[in-house]
Amino acid sequence: MYRYDEFDADLVRERVDEFRDQVRRRIDGALTEAEFKPLRLMNGLYLQLHAYMLRVAIPYGTLNSRQMRQLAMIAERWDRGYGHFTTRQNIQLNWPKLRDVPDILDALAEVEMHAIQTSGNCIRNVTSDPFAGLATDEIEDPRTTAELIRQWSTMHPEFTFLGRKFKIAVTGASHDRAAVRVHDIGIEIVRNEAGDVGYRMLVGGGLGRTPMIGKVLREFLPRQDLLPYLEAALRIYNLYGRRDNKYKARIKILVHELGIDTFREEVEAEFASLDRAIIAEDPAERARIAAYFAPPDFAELPDESKMLDAALAQDPDFATWVDQNTFPHRVPGYLAATISLKPIGGAPGDATAEQMHAMADIAEALSFDELRITHEQNVVLPHIRKDALYQVWRRLVAAGLDAPNRGLVTDIIACPGLDYCSLATARSIPVAQDIAQRFASVERQRQIGPLAIKISGCINACGHHHVGHIGILGLDKAGAESYQITLGGDPTNTAALGERTGPGFGYDQVPDVIERLVDTYIGAREEGETFLQTYRRVGMAPFKEAIYAEAA
Amino acid sequence: MPRSFQPSILTTQSLLDGDVLWWTGRAWSREIARAQVIEDAEEAARLEALASGPAHAAETVGAYLVEVSVADGAPYPTVRREQIRAEESPTFAYRPEPLSEAA
Repeated sequence: MYRYDEFDADLVRERVDEFRDQVRRRIDGALTEAEFKPLRLMNGLYLQLHAYMLRVAIPYGTLNSRQMRQLAMIAERWDRGYGHFTTRQNIQLNWPKLRDVPDILDALAEVEMHAIQTSGNCIRNVTSDPFAGLATDEIEDPRTTAELIRQWSTMHPEFTFLGRKFKIAVTGASHDRAAVRVHDIGIEIVRNEAGDVGYRMLVGGGLGRTPMIGKVLREFLPRQDLLPYLEAALRIYNLYGRRDNKYKARIKILVHELGIDTFREEVEAEFASLDRAIIAEDPAERARIAAYFAPPDFAELPDESKMLDAALAQDPDFATWVDQNTFPHRVPGYLAATISLKPIGGAPGDATAEQMHAMADIAEALSFDELRITHEQNVVLPHIRKDALYQVWRRLVAAGLDAPNRGLVTDIIACPGLDYCSLATARSIPVAQDIAQRFASVERQRQIGPLAIKISGCINACGHHHVGHIGILGLDKAGAESYQITLGGDPTNTAALGERTGPGFGYDQVPDVIERLVDTYIGAREEGETFLQTYRRVGMAPFKEAIYAEAA
Repeated sequence: MPRSFQPSILTTQSLLDGDVLWWTGRAWSREIARAQVIEDAEEAARLEALASGPAHAAETVGAYLVEVSVADGAPYPTVRREQIRAEESPTFAYRPEPLSEAA
């Protein structure tokens, strides 16, 4: 894992001291709210419906046990004993007091964490593949690239006040698990015909009120050109992106309005004119960073584990969890496992301080001290010996973290929605809970198969509803909640935006509607077909009929 | 035709902890039941401007009007968002076993 150097540590400490002074001046009355608000937002502090909310960055979703324990400590000491993991691989604390926030930031700095650039019109936390460094389809660990971008973008003077926020995701694998096609810039690590490793650059993807799939900006970018090329792309956005209308200020609108070819010409011309040498990465710095992501000291093991086989044979609940929640590891004798933060009836992405401690303890003892937060609001234990998997699972059971539902109908992404968020127009979490209750049977979930439901409580789409196989968008209709349904969304290599079924549904109707959609799929599916495959084959009509027939 | 003025109450959040507050006519309160129901558009605009201004800025964060219905003298917001704010917490058991104050 990456460790702060002296420069990183000083920078974060100075920023905490600065914010402590800003908070003091706000409380003393020296700063008005209008003056203070942009300052607190630059430090990840929002004012939500019931309280402040602090968003803490988890760079590319990777953290160690010490950091997870510190998050637990902060949640216990200064919040209400839990945290919410987000679709941007971050964590949010929902109840901090203003006066405590500088102390919280100090506590984060102790473990090399911060809340810088988790809000505001700047380059946000760079996200990545939660299975980085272990997936069998990976060309290279994307986190070295993500960390380089983090360092380049942190307090970049030219890009601190962009027209709008800017999100970058990096994947190093052939299967996109980082949703790079729905980011402002998506980066795929690829190999060209000569065998060189470089980047395929995508631009102009995004969700929100105008969802778009990213377009290819450059098929192959040599590795050393990454930072100058990003600088050129950001500069063109900063120069030509709109600032008159915040709803049209994201780079996707600029790319759409100019056309990808014109945008590319502008970026290439800017790139050609730059003094690339002063922006480009220092190969020694890349090597220094890469060393932090070197594989841990794996044991040489046979791929088969008799202990695992025996446990699978004797414990069907364990076998179900293994089948559903583990992921192949490139090193023989190891597996990665997803800890689902979607227990039936729970709030998606929430973990109590006790659960954070449990996850930290397990990671420290049995997963080379590493944890990953996924954009699906779950946690990954990346490196578990197959021999130890049963032990890991029993510890997860004891902590209430054993839901065997990864990728299934109850593994629902949901934003905080109107229960917390001041921007929301409808609730998300209770809708997710009601749907999960409806499909609580593990057997039934597994019969349904892979199905991603994603719920957003407003048009800003933090719950990624546009790329849910079933997307749910909560809106306000004359003061009451109304939910629009979309079908066929997909955040992966075959990215697609969901298509709206038609008029929205009331809060209480949503579980029935979802059940009818699922039943329609079950009735129409061919052998081995997933929901998405069936939808793509049969189209919208039968689903639409199923959910609107009664009203007609 | 412009919509006629609906009975409203004035709300803000406390600077120090973000708690939802309601204007009683004399002070800010955490209890919506104590909120002053404003029946007159001009009076509402005057109070809103006052509450958003410097006199309150040291302890609160902006202020705005919330439309209410009134039953047995108690105001209750008409829109879902404000109903949830009035409850002072999410609508589900967000933390089933709250930590004790001593923890």
